[in-house]
Amino acid sequence: MQMVKKSLLIFMALWFSLLLFMPKAELYHTVEKALEKQDVKLNETSIDEGLFSLTLKDVTVYVKGIALAHVDEIDFFTLLFYSSLDMVNLKVDEALHAKVPALTKEAHFAHNIFEPLTVSFDANGSFGVVDGKFNGMDNVVRIDFVELGNISMIQSFLIKDEKGWFYEKSF
Amino acid sequence: MKNLFKPEMLKVLIGILTFLLIIKLLWFVVQIIWLSPIDIDQAEDQSSKALYYKVKLTPNNIAAPQKTQPQKKTKIAGSIKEIKLLAIYNASDISVVTVEYRKKTKVLGTGDVLNGFTLEGAGSNFAMFSRDTKNYKVLLAKNSKASSNISTIKSVPAVKSMVQTKKALGEVTNEGDVKIIDRSLLEHYANNMEDIYKNIGISEVKEGKDLKGFKINFVKKDSPFSKLGIQRNDVIKSINGQEIKSYNAAFNVYKNIKDVESLNMVIMRGKEEMELEYEIN
Repeated sequence: MQMVKKSLLIFMALWFSLLLFMPKAELYHTVEKALEKQDVKLNETSIDEGLFSLTLKDVTVYVKGIALAHVDEIDFFTLLFYSSLDMVNLKVDEALHAKVPALTKEAHFAHNIFEPLTVSFDANGSFGVVDGKFNGMDNVVRIDFVELGNISMIQSFLIKDEKGWFYEKSF
Repeated sequence: MKNLFKPEMLKVLIGILTFLLIIKLLWFVVQIIWLSPIDIDQAEDQSSKALYYKVKLTPNNIAAPQKTQPQKKTKIAGSIKEIKLLAIYNASDISVVTVEYRKKTKVLGTGDVLNGFTLEGAGSNFAMFSRDTKNYKVLLAKNSKASSNISTIKSVPAVKSMVQTKKALGEVTNEGDVKIIDRSLLEHYANNMEDIYKNIGISEVKEGKDLKGFKINFVKKDSPFSKLGIQRNDVIKSINGQEIKSYNAAFNVYKNIKDVESLNMVIMRGKEEMELEYEIN
């Protein structure tokens, strides 16, 4: 019993110290470097490292040098076995308003170790309220529209069944 | 002598600190080997600027205007106001319009004369007449809807079928040396980017890592783009003074294209630099 207790304690200490000393900003810069290869760059006014989180403020998303979107805040949180990403006020450039919804007020993406190949998400904005899942096993993404807002610009990509409108795409 | 700390406690404390140091060192090694320490930011594009509006100024070599007695306007025999435009059909080689003149409906083709006014061409919502080297623009009557257009043209069966298949899209018309782009055409392409790529192929021209411009790969025959005079292998250098050396500059032009009054495009055709000018109607 003492041995189990000691092992558990060592495991907890290891988990906590790994999170505590994790170079979160450098990890984010590495992600930025990977995105740069896809011609995507993120400009932010501040990067705040928390105990378990990393917060980016005023993020402008550039694709091929064009500022296509702005996010007021992006918050990345991880406990290693559970991770989440929250976005607040994602606004796309007005030139794209005819193609994509203008505003996403809040978006939440979550991943947990018990479903390692699944990312679930929910969001609300000018398009209404959605929740969805990306299934990495089948490479399928499905987004269900729980409440409908202005979806006229994306309606041609959506399908309607007895539950309502949804988007589904396999890769 | 009494010990301040129990030796076991000190041992545990040293053990914990060593453990934390090892983890920290581990992350440090990972950071040095694999992680990027530098923040990658997009540099602000200084080359983008608002598209300019062309203003025709009096050339300096013309004498300063002198005060003259106001000339009485000579009354012309017939007025353009008597011509009411009811319907328009534009084909690649001819424009056909239906007009109401002195309560009679008439169908005119390019070059036809009515009341001394010659039909020169037509846009999506106007017809251009000329008389005595002057051009007169007649706008489509506001109460003329598509259905009434077709009923008006009923007397011309050959034209009727063409009118029914016509898309409600502006045209690029030739007015002598000047090419006139209908604003509705610009608005259509500004709102439907995918339609641009159905008619024209564009690829980037690079020198090393630097973007030097955008090259035309193909231009669809009889499309509005072919009427602009641009050809395959032309390289777009600038539009309205805005150098097109980045995607941001090109996007800036695309975003503001609806608001411009005229278009001036500098292209490279082979080794020759050419300037193409258009008016927006």
